[in-house]
Amino acid sequence: MKDLKHLIYFENLLQEANNELVQQAKKDGLRAIGYTCYFMPEVLLDLPGCFSVRLRAPRCTSPDIATYYMSARVCHYARSLMERALEGGFNFLDAQMATETCTATCRFQEHLQQKHLDSVDDMRIIDNDDFFCEFSDVPFKNNEISYEHYATQLRAHVLQPLHDHFGIDISDEAIRKAVEQQNEVSRLINEIGDYRKLDNPTITGYEFHVIQLCSLVCPKYLILPYLRETAEEMKTREPDMKKEFRCKVVLAGSENDDPDFTKLVESCGARVVVDRYCYGAVESRQIIDLPDGVDPVYAIAKHYLHSSNCPRFMPQDEMRARKKRIAELAKEYHADGVIIASNKFCEYWSYERVIDTVILKRDFGLPVCSIEKEYINTASGQLRTRFQAFVESVEIKKIQEGK
Amino acid sequence: MAKKSVSKALRDFWYGKPHTAEEGGRRLGELHEDKTHLYKHREWRGVADTMYYFYNIWLYNYIFMVKDIMVMHGPITFAKGLWRYRWVGQTYLPVLHWFDRGLEGMRGEAMKASAWHYRAMVSTTIRQFQRMFAADTRLHGGKQNELYKHTIAHNETVWGGVFYPWDGEITNVPLEMIPYFVTCHVNSHTVLNYIDAVQSIGLPGDPCPMCQAESGIFVLDDVPDYAPAVITCNEACDASVSTSTLQDWFFDKPLFSLPMPMLFDDPLVKKYVMREIEELWKFVEQQYGIPFSWEKLTKKLELQNELQRFEWEKWEVAAKSDYYPINGVAQALYRIYQTQYGDWEIWHVTDKKVRKILEKCVSKKINSFPQTRHRVIAWSCAPLYYSNWCTWAYNCWGLNVIINMDSLMFDMEIRTDSYEHTLEDMAQYHMWAPMRRMAVGGMHHMFELWDYMKRFNCDMVAMYDQLQCKGVQGLHGLFEDEFRKRDIKAFWIPHALPDSRTVSRAEIRRLINDYMSTVMHEEPLDPSLLDFDDSMTW
Repeated sequence: MKDLKHLIYFENLLQEANNELVQQAKKDGLRAIGYTCYFMPEVLLDLPGCFSVRLRAPRCTSPDIATYYMSARVCHYARSLMERALEGGFNFLDAQMATETCTATCRFQEHLQQKHLDSVDDMRIIDNDDFFCEFSDVPFKNNEISYEHYATQLRAHVLQPLHDHFGIDISDEAIRKAVEQQNEVSRLINEIGDYRKLDNPTITGYEFHVIQLCSLVCPKYLILPYLRETAEEMKTREPDMKKEFRCKVVLAGSENDDPDFTKLVESCGARVVVDRYCYGAVESRQIIDLPDGVDPVYAIAKHYLHSSNCPRFMPQDEMRARKKRIAELAKEYHADGVIIASNKFCEYWSYERVIDTVILKRDFGLPVCSIEKEYINTASGQLRTRFQAFVESVEIKKIQEGK
Repeated sequence: MAKKSVSKALRDFWYGKPHTAEEGGRRLGELHEDKTHLYKHREWRGVADTMYYFYNIWLYNYIFMVKDIMVMHGPITFAKGLWRYRWVGQTYLPVLHWFDRGLEGMRGEAMKASAWHYRAMVSTTIRQFQRMFAADTRLHGGKQNELYKHTIAHNETVWGGVFYPWDGEITNVPLEMIPYFVTCHVNSHTVLNYIDAVQSIGLPGDPCPMCQAESGIFVLDDVPDYAPAVITCNEACDASVSTSTLQDWFFDKPLFSLPMPMLFDDPLVKKYVMREIEELWKFVEQQYGIPFSWEKLTKKLELQNELQRFEWEKWEVAAKSDYYPINGVAQALYRIYQTQYGDWEIWHVTDKKVRKILEKCVSKKINSFPQTRHRVIAWSCAPLYYSNWCTWAYNCWGLNVIINMDSLMFDMEIRTDSYEHTLEDMAQYHMWAPMRRMAVGGMHHMFELWDYMKRFNCDMVAMYDQLQCKGVQGLHGLFEDEFRKRDIKAFWIPHALPDSRTVSRAEIRRLINDYMSTVMHEEPLDPSLLDFDDSMTW
C-alpha cells in the first residue's frame, strides 16, 4: 500500500510526551492536563482553555530511579512513567487528573501529589509551580448509584479544581463543546478504523495504532486537521494486490501504547484488526451521546462506565459480558483469533488473560494466543516465535475447516 | 562450686532457665530436631509455667478441640469434611504445634494471655468449618439442607458486621478465611498446593500470592458448597477483584459485589459506600426472604464496640508501660481475626480472661517481657507462614513487637444512635479493611507509621516487604528515604504472604540477624536461635 501522507509525522509525535503539538498548544496559552487511565474522561480535560495528554513514556527501557522508588516488582508502565517524570519529561504538565484504578499507576500519581503530604518530603517531581494532582474515585460497578457517584466525583475532583486553579470554563455549554470536538475525533478514528473490516484491509494495525495514539496524546484541535486529511486519504487508498497477512486477529489486553508491539504481531503474519486494550479505540472512540436537556457530567460519567470493558468491573454480568464483547468484535471484524496480552505485574489482566484464554476458546470457539509482555518490548524473539506458531495454528485450523 | 551448680539446677528446675546466654541461658534453639523442628523434648518453663502450659494450654486446647467438634455439628460432619477437603486434615492436628511456635519461651502472664487469644481463634475456626461442612451440598448428596439455606458465603475481606441484621437467622461464613488464611498460619505447606494449582492454568507467579491461593482453592474444587449466594468485594487490592472474577466462574451462583473505594478519605466516597451497603442488604433480603433487623444490627454493633473499647485499653497499657502481657503474634492474629470476622461470643469470653491478666500485670507492675531491648512496631502486611517471627525475635534479640499495622486498622467505634450515623460508620469501618487502610489505601496512611511509633513509644520498625504487593512495593523508595532522613532504625522483612518458598523463614531470620549484628552491633540474647533449619516444619 502507498504510505499514508502523515504517518511519519504521526510517528514523530509519539517520540515524546511533550511533542510538537503539545508545545504549540502551550504556546497558545492552554493548560496541559495529564491522565493515565481511560476512566478519567479525556473530554473533560479538553474543555476550552486546556487539553488532555494521556501519559506515555516512549523509549523508556531502563527505569532505574523509578525502580528504586517503586521496586522492580511493579508494572513497567507505571515505573516508566515515574522515570520519565523524574527525568523532567512531564514538566510541561499543569495538572494530573489521577484515578486509583490500578494500584501501580495510583502509586505513581501519588508520588506526583506529594506536596499535599506532611509526612514525606516533597520530591517536587513535576517542576512546575502551577502543577497539582487530584484524585477521583472510579466505581467498580455499572449501576445507577455508580453513575451518580462518578458524576459527583468528576464535578468535585476534575471540574471544580480546573476552574479554581486555571479559571477553566466548566459550564454545560463548554462541556458540550468539548464533547462535540471529541465526537468529531471519534468519528474520524472510527471511519479510518472501519477499513480494517474489509476482506483485505486498507490500513494496517500498526498504522491505526499510531493514529489512535496521536489522538490521545495531542491537543484535539491541533490533531484534528491531520485526522481529517488522513480520513480523506483513506477513501482512495488501494490495498496491496496480494494480502500481506495470513490471518486477522483481535489484540486484547492491558495497557499498550507501543505501536512497535502491533508491528511485531503483524510482522509474524497476523493483521491486527481490533485494538481492544487500554489506549485502544474500541472503548475510547465511542461517540458520546449527549441529548439536549441531559446533565452533561452525568451523561459523561455514565458513558465512561458503560463503554469500558476493564477487568476492574466486578459484578457477575460485567465479567461475562466482557468475554462476549471480544467474541462479538472478532465476528464484526472477521478476525480468525484473539491475542490476549497482559503486561508483566498487571494483576487485573493476569487473571483476565487466564479466564479469557479458557472461555474464548471453550465458549466461543476462538483460537487464543495468551502472552505476557513488558511495557516496552526490547526482547522480541520469544514473542515472535509465539506469534508465528499461533498464526500457523490458525492457518491449519482454517485448512481443516476447508476455508 | 558443686553447691553453686546444685543450687542453679534447682533454681532452673523451679523457675526455668534464665533467658540470656550470660546467665547460663535456656538455649531454645537446641530444643528442636533439625528440619522438622519437632521437639526433642518439650520446653521446661519452670514448675508452675510448665504445669500451666501442659494443663491449661496443651491439654485444655486438645480437649476443647474435640469438645467444639462434638458440640458444633458433631464428629460425623467433621469426619466427612476431613475426608473431602485436604486443608482440614493438614491443619487440624498441627494446631498445638502452632501454639508452641507462637508461645515459645514465653513465661508467666505473657504465656497465659497470649494462649487465650490462640484458644479463641481455634474455637472460631472450628465453628466456621463445621458450619461449612454441615451445610455443604457435597457432603450431603447434593441436597440443600436448612443450614445451607441459612448460610451466606462471602470473601474474607467482607467484614462480617454487614450481616449483623440477620444475626441468629443467617450465618455468614467467609469463603477463604479457614481453607486458606487460617490454614497457612498453622501449616505453611497446605497453601502451596493451591498456589501451584492456579499457576498451572496460566496465572503468572507475580500477582499477590494470597489471591493466588484463594483462587487455587477453587481451581482444585476444594471449597465446600455451603450457601446459596455469595458476596464478593474488591478489598484489599486489584488482585482481589480478579480473584472474585475467577471464583465467580467456578461458583456460578447469585452474587453481589460490594465495591469499596481505595481512597477513602473523601467524604463523598463514604456516601457511595453507604448506598452500596444498603444494596447489599436488599440483595440478602431478596435471596433469603428474611427481613433486615435494625435491632439486631445495633445490638451486635454495641457488642462489637465493647471489644473495641477493651482493645483501646490494651493499647493504652502497651503504649505507656512495660506491663503489656500479650506477645506480638497473639496480638496481631487475634485482633485481625476478631475485627474482620465481627462480633462473636468467644471474643468476649477471651477478653474477660485477658482483662484479668492485664489488670494483674498493671497493678503488680509485672513486666512480661523483661529482656526487651527494642520496642518494635511491625508495619505493613505480615508473612502468614511466619507470623511467629516476633516470638523468635524477642527470644533471640530482645526485639519486642509492641503493636503492628493490622491491629491498628479498625481504630473506631460504630455509632448506633441513628440509622444515618450507623451506616456512615459501617462504611468507614468497611473501607478500612485488612491490608487496605495503611497498605493500599492512600499513601499518606502508610506514613501514619511515624505517628504510631510515637504513640506506642517504639524505637524500631520491622518493615514487612510483601514482595508481590504492588501497593507497598510502590512506596519502597520513599520509606528508605524517610527512614534515613528521620534516623529511624528499621529492618525489612521480605516475604510472600503465604508462600514460604519465596523467602524462607531461615532467610527472614538471617536478615534480622545481619541487621542486629552489623547495623546495631548487638549480641544475641540466645545465640542458639541464630541459625537453625526448620525448612520442613509446619
